[in-house]
Amino acid sequence: MKPLAAFLATFVVALALTGVTGARTHTFQSANCNTATPQPTAGMTRDGQMNYAIIAAWDGYQWGGGCWNNDDHDAAPNDPPQQYTGGEGGDCSGFTFKTWREAQDTANGGRYYWAPLRNVHGPYTAEAFKNAAGAPNGTIYKPNADAMDGFASTWHVGLVFFRGSGGWDQIIEAKCEACGTNLFDESYRSQSAFGGIRRIGWTG
Amino acid sequence: MEPIRTRWRMLTGGLSGLILGVAGGIVGIALLAGGASGGAGDGGTSYIMAGHLPPLLTVAGQDVTIRYAIVCPPPGGDVSSGEPCDGGGDVYIRSGHTGGFERLSLTRGAGSAAGRYFVDVPASIAADPRGFSYYAVLRDRDHGTELTVPAGGADAPQQSFPLRDPVTVALGAHSFGATRTADARVADAPWGDGVGQAGLLGGPTSMRIGPSSFDVSRDGTVALLDEMNDRVERWRGGALVGSVPVEVAAATSDFAVGAGGTMYVIDGRSAAGDTPLLRTFAPDGLLVRARHIAERTWSQLRIGPRGPIVQQEPSEQWMPATDGAAPLDRAAQARAGSPGRPLADGSQLVVLRSGVGEVRLARIAGGAVRASWRVLSATPLGEVQLADATGDRVVLVVKAYTDTQDEFVVLVLDGRRLVQRFSVPSDQWAEAAPLAHFRLVGSSLYKLGSTPAGAFVDRYDLGGAR
Repeated sequence: MKPLAAFLATFVVALALTGVTGARTHTFQSANCNTATPQPTAGMTRDGQMNYAIIAAWDGYQWGGGCWNNDDHDAAPNDPPQQYTGGEGGDCSGFTFKTWREAQDTANGGRYYWAPLRNVHGPYTAEAFKNAAGAPNGTIYKPNADAMDGFASTWHVGLVFFRGSGGWDQIIEAKCEACGTNLFDESYRSQSAFGGIRRIGWTG
Repeated sequence: MEPIRTRWRMLTGGLSGLILGVAGGIVGIALLAGGASGGAGDGGTSYIMAGHLPPLLTVAGQDVTIRYAIVCPPPGGDVSSGEPCDGGGDVYIRSGHTGGFERLSLTRGAGSAAGRYFVDVPASIAADPRGFSYYAVLRDRDHGTELTVPAGGADAPQQSFPLRDPVTVALGAHSFGATRTADARVADAPWGDGVGQAGLLGGPTSMRIGPSSFDVSRDGTVALLDEMNDRVERWRGGALVGSVPVEVAAATSDFAVGAGGTMYVIDGRSAAGDTPLLRTFAPDGLLVRARHIAERTWSQLRIGPRGPIVQQEPSEQWMPATDGAAPLDRAAQARAGSPGRPLADGSQLVVLRSGVGEVRLARIAGGAVRASWRVLSATPLGEVQLADATGDRVVLVVKAYTDTQDEFVVLVLDGRRLVQRFSVPSDQWAEAAPLAHFRLVGSSLYKLGSTPAGAFVDRYDLGGAR
């Protein structure tokens, strides 16, 4: 019985310690996300990327994040604001970077598919998008912004999904921890803090 | 030899336990993670969404094209291709607002900036003096899913009305910086979580959200939705007179106060995989009811003749949430959709922001245009924050903007002319719900604003309505 008792005792202790340690260090990002190489693509249509963007809806918001799993559930809700905790979802600029199929190299204007579970934020902040930093990014006269163009300020960026009849816009955006990532009606177009931005190189 | 063998067996047993225990812990964590990860993340499931900007109000000689964005998984579910889905569909349209519909098939265009799928409305229908009505059945041809827009289909089709002889107001180029001073500051809440303060979320690198909406009672009591502090604060004459707790999300929700002080909050987030919730609270903050609205996205919440009404997309219609005290389910909301905001006298106000600098506005009664206006601006116009009636006049608040400046323009219109015009500062330091900055009560216009110091509500008196 003694060897069996030794087995059981060490098993229980090891199981508990491993579980507790794992739970302490486990995050959505560490457990689910990958670092796969992005896939270059020839095409990038606006409505194709509307489809890509909407996959992230309901999957949460994570400041500094860029990984989600399309289960319509935020696996890590109620994170503290402006802190990266490895939770699910992108932040506004990470979400824009992935939806716009951009490269980590800011001099590269090519198109790259990043799978939703590929954890990447990209090199751009909201302010960088506003200033059209990087080869793939440009600005646009705000009244002309259409589907998958966007509006950026120094603290936030969102993409036009479709115009609203009263002059507002349906915006697809990673908005805030409680708001999550989703479609929201917004008035960014008319706010002087926001500039019009565009991805260069749509194919349809 | 026996003690050595025993010690060896104990060592073996302990080592086995250690290895299996560690392995078990790792497997357990992995299983927990897997349980949370759910879908494949590549959009394999079937769904269909749409975007549509309806030509609610037309002018003489206007060619009308109806466009839709159709969003659904690409063929084979390969999101990596960047290609759109295989969409299609039909528009069912008729001259006027009664009778049978004629089917027109949508054409697939090369570009999708304003909607890939379109149909040109025949001139005989577009020019009908009664206007026209229509709905669309959109399809994902690869997966077989369908979506009807507006959601009410033939029961509540989208409607378009012609402006035959509108009052035309030419604003010219907007002169920034010449704003009117408010007649009174009726609520003034510094940022914070104390009594008489208002909560603020966010910071330099994330969205700043303050009180997301407000409403004003007939007696001038201002109710401020302080969602960051889970409460509604009530102010009268510039002083805080009370506060009630409400359980709402720390997001940009819209808010309206109905008869008897009943409060309605439409959620600034969406329940997972579902449409937003409209919550009803008793005047003391007790949650009475929470029900889903008909569609995925809302733009504004107001009180209509029979209870709360919500403007929703993709239908781009106002839909009632209740019929008096009785809540409506999603299908019933959709069947009661209308293009304009219903008013107490049975008429409705239809608004269309057209082009870069135009607002079209019409008061519809008995299915026909009773009064209409065209507001033309040389400066770009943004969202219409408010269109409401006071007596025989209409008050319109719209944003004028450039890349570096923005202000709200307030216009008071009657059936013949522009009666009053002034500008007010935008004061949008913190975000609120998109169309929650203004309320009209009698002949007083109230504005919700924010600065780095806090949130406030200002009152502008418009003078007597007739």
